[in-house]
Amino acid sequence: MKSIDLDSIKAAWKNESSFEDQRLSELDIENFLSSKSKDISRLFRKGLIFDIVLKSVIGVSLIGIFFLLKASQSLVLISYILILTLLAIRYQWLMIARIPEASTSDPVIRISLENKIKFYRRHFIKSLYVGALSNSLFILSGMLYYLYFKYGEIRPFAWDDYLVLGVTLIIGFALGAYVQITQHNFQVKQLESCLQDIDEDAMTTLTLRDQRNKKRRLIFIFLLALVCGLLLLAFFIFR
Amino acid sequence: MIHERTHQHFLELIHRHQSILHKICFVYCKNRVDREDLQQEIVLQLWKSFPSFQANAAFSTWMYRVALNTAINQTRRPGLLFDTSSSPEIPYDPSDFYDLSEEIQILYRAISQLRKVEKAIILLWLEEKSYEEIAASIGISVKNVSVKLVRIRTRLAEIIKKLQ
Repeated sequence: MKSIDLDSIKAAWKNESSFEDQRLSELDIENFLSSKSKDISRLFRKGLIFDIVLKSVIGVSLIGIFFLLKASQSLVLISYILILTLLAIRYQWLMIARIPEASTSDPVIRISLENKIKFYRRHFIKSLYVGALSNSLFILSGMLYYLYFKYGEIRPFAWDDYLVLGVTLIIGFALGAYVQITQHNFQVKQLESCLQDIDEDAMTTLTLRDQRNKKRRLIFIFLLALVCGLLLLAFFIFR
Repeated sequence: MIHERTHQHFLELIHRHQSILHKICFVYCKNRVDREDLQQEIVLQLWKSFPSFQANAAFSTWMYRVALNTAINQTRRPGLLFDTSSSPEIPYDPSDFYDLSEEIQILYRAISQLRKVEKAIILLWLEEKSYEEIAASIGISVKNVSVKLVRIRTRLAEIIKKLQ
């Protein structure tokens, strides 16, 4: 069988004249500079900005219900939710500033990958849980408006109201977190596989971390199912 | 004024070394739209990193480092409903190859089947960068470069044999 002479192919590569074609003008290159980056950092930054806008809308709607209710026992609860929303917005705002820029002054591929993966796995992941909180806050504010416009007030909750509301909020939060973390993992895993290719010794570490994450995820899902199950059980027993 | 001069200098340098851009984009993207996106991203990152470029260093080496870093850091987006990671590989559009010799066409097709980091190493090898330069760009030891290059070259030869 004929063997492949890579050195002759390398020489052909070196002598390929079409590589020298000037396909881009200086104007084309200048136009690239005025475009927007589509890097993973920008994508995550956009996600955070969207979440801040959504939480701000929820915050405004909570202020609205605060003034509609004027004097009510629910005002204390709404104040706490409002403070929680503001804290979440602040957290996301600070996270935007921490997202590493795509460009690095030291473009060593391995260092760049390590820094990005470390940030997205250790720090950015927390902001996804804060982001998932938007679902629960959205449900909560929507429900407060519904109750206000239906009954003209927000009556004190009975225990089964708390149960239904609690389960709905937990499901909203869990669904949001699941979707966001799945998308986050899809992209970060691509970076991890590149790092794995650079340093094959890292494979063991990554596999171990994957297993640890899988275990944590399973515990989280189990606890969630347990809490929902116990609440439903209590509902049917004491109904 | 200084900014304008830097800007013009940058444009001239990229224009002169644009073959690096085309080679990298061709190796990392088979689809023309993706290729244009990557070209744009690389130029943007080169501009952002330009202040770190030291005039006494070779521009082509620096450009390779930033461009390869950008190409490797590019990630596919998740599909809305389905994971697109297992979708079949799209072949190159034959019209993209109209001005390339057959040998280079096969080489491109073969390199495109390698993994991202392998593509970077083989590209630097084809450009006759020294083992030290490859090691500095990737962030591994010189010994590791030689081990990896042996493995990648063997794999590349196997793929080329299949494609011929």
